[in-house]
Amino acid sequence: MNTESTSIQPRLRVPGILLILGLAIELISLLWNKPLAFILFAFVGGAFLLSGILLYLYSLVSVRG
Amino acid sequence: MQLPTPGVLLIALLLVSLVLIAIVVFRPAITNSREGKILAFLAFLILPVLCMTWGASEHIDRSKQTQFCLSCHVMEPYGKSLYVDDPGYVPAAHYQNHRIPVEEACYTCHTDYALYGSLRAKMEGLQHIYVQYLGTIPKTITLFKPYNNRECLHCHLGARSFESNPLHQAIMDSIKSNQMSCITSGCHDTVHNVASQDHVKFWSPVQ
Repeated sequence: MNTESTSIQPRLRVPGILLILGLAIELISLLWNKPLAFILFAFVGGAFLLSGILLYLYSLVSVRG
Repeated sequence: MQLPTPGVLLIALLLVSLVLIAIVVFRPAITNSREGKILAFLAFLILPVLCMTWGASEHIDRSKQTQFCLSCHVMEPYGKSLYVDDPGYVPAAHYQNHRIPVEEACYTCHTDYALYGSLRAKMEGLQHIYVQYLGTIPKTITLFKPYNNRECLHCHLGARSFESNPLHQAIMDSIKSNQMSCITSGCHDTVHNVASQDHVKFWSPVQ
């Protein structure tokens, strides 16, 4: 069994869910043509996406090969 | 055949990204292979960064639209003022005669044509959103700072009708240096005038 793959797989779930939420919020903000949509995109969607990306990068560097 | 708009392409990219991320999340075993790792890298890093950048650009483009500015209730009278049937109303004359892009009418006149003009306009826009939803909307809306002639000269400078006007020629230096305002020096002082909207006639464009 590959040690690396088994250790990174569970770590992908949380960043994945954060990214799915962030992208879903971005999608909703694009379908809504109001000034609040930009706030939703930049501050709510952006926060989910950034935290998802950072967690994914952390999971990559913290896995022991 | 009509090409899809950037907005439609972005929505398609978002959906593809969502599907790829969901595949990795619900079938993590695919990351055992090299190809799976590449797919995860693409879905978890490259595509979200691309979506964020493209999304920001799309939102900024949308915020330039006249329709966007007028979507706030408080801006409705200003939108209505674009249809005043009187050529003396500066914004109405510009809008009705397409001297400015009709789809980006507000932005065309209310952005600074300077190095960080667009960025400053966006920051001021955020302040508008704050006041709209969390602050108190003032009874009389005023500009953040006096209107700069530079915004008028961005189009008018070098235009024959502007340059050949003897009055403009006589005070050209004062106009260029912003010492004499185009709109508050008594020359072109009828702007939106929303307070007197009950007493004016409106133009109805032919559909």
